[in-house]
Amino acid sequence: MSARVPSADTAYAMEAAVARLLVVGTWLAMGLVLVGVVLMLASGVDPLAHGAVPPFRPAAIPGELLALDPAGFLWAGVVLIVALPIGRVLVSGLGFLAARDVRMAGISLAVLVVVLVSVVASVVIEA
Amino acid sequence: MIAGLVLLAGGAAAGLFGSLLGLGGGILIVPLLNLGFGLPLRQAVAVSLVSVIVTSSASAAVYLQRHVANLRLGMSLELFSAAGAFAGGLVAFLIDEQLLAGLFAALMIWVAISMARRKDPPRAAVPAGGPSASGSIPAAPEPVPATRAAPEHGLGDAAPDPAVDGSLTAAISGPGYRVRRIPMGMAGSAFAGVNSALLGVGGGIVKVPVMNLVMGVPLRTSTATSNMMMGITAVASAVIYLLRDELDPYVAGPIVLGVFAGATLGSRIAHRVDVRLLRWLFIVVLVYTAYQMIRKALGL
Repeated sequence: MSARVPSADTAYAMEAAVARLLVVGTWLAMGLVLVGVVLMLASGVDPLAHGAVPPFRPAAIPGELLALDPAGFLWAGVVLIVALPIGRVLVSGLGFLAARDVRMAGISLAVLVVVLVSVVASVVIEA
Repeated sequence: MIAGLVLLAGGAAAGLFGSLLGLGGGILIVPLLNLGFGLPLRQAVAVSLVSVIVTSSASAAVYLQRHVANLRLGMSLELFSAAGAFAGGLVAFLIDEQLLAGLFAALMIWVAISMARRKDPPRAAVPAGGPSASGSIPAAPEPVPATRAAPEHGLGDAAPDPAVDGSLTAAISGPGYRVRRIPMGMAGSAFAGVNSALLGVGGGIVKVPVMNLVMGVPLRTSTATSNMMMGITAVASAVIYLLRDELDPYVAGPIVLGVFAGATLGSRIAHRVDVRLLRWLFIVVLVYTAYQMIRKALGL
């Protein structure tokens, strides 16, 4: 495998791109969660006494958002929160690939594979 | 409505004190939700993991902007911490909740001892400058056992030139330091990942000393890199809790929002707060909470 290392400028540009992604993503996620919490408080849902944990159904989120259902905004925020580190690894991996640093790109891919295996394993166990 | 506001306030308090004392939120959020609000331990861990991801993303953004975190080292080690978290996430559903409570109590005692033995002022390794407009989280460093000198500038090994030396060591070393004992770093990261997934914490209590004392990475870089790694580590196990319907969005929402607000506030006032008294008060709280967790573990 190539051990080519990007120049300092390339590395700094990649770090800046990843930082921008995290900043924008974090604020967006917090915005979604904030709307969800406000709607939850306004609709009188008691977070500690609302019954069973609502199941995570990604396909239902768009409809819940359109219906201004607090759960939709909360789930959308949670999904974005979980997606951010994955996006960070993805952007870093693409940056390493663009810089032809195959080793670090491979490590990035391996990290994503571990997360993917977690998802698949959870789905399989639940099924 | 009251319960939602109480959760929001609880999350804010956890974020604020965690930020001031250099802890992730998990060590506070899990007992708050479990002992304070009666949430099952696994659900508390799931909510805590989401909080850990938020604080990691926000702090990683700032550390990367300041070029404090070592992205290449972090990505190399997080492969192992994520794998550990995956394993821990699966094991968490197999072991008894009382055993989990016992493990959490042990972690709290370890954190309390680490904080009690810390000799340096808690803000000694804070990256210079205040937080940016990014809603930054970084304030105090994570607790590092102070029994050995924790070098701020590595252990003195000359930094290799990656353009000449094509080894992994050269690739993940940083300016002014050469990373050592990479296999031990990998093992430590995997262990931190298991801890994170089982107990809903960031795992910095393991990763920072491993990177700093074992691998020879400067303390400031270790703290920043550990914070960055926590996000993807927590994701590897959070998806397991999420897909197994152990994450309650109605609890996670106010807690995560509170932690983000509290940690952001903490990072802005950290330089004005003398945390020595706060630290000792917190140690007492940790020990008392650990006692309650032990009672729970023993079924008392």
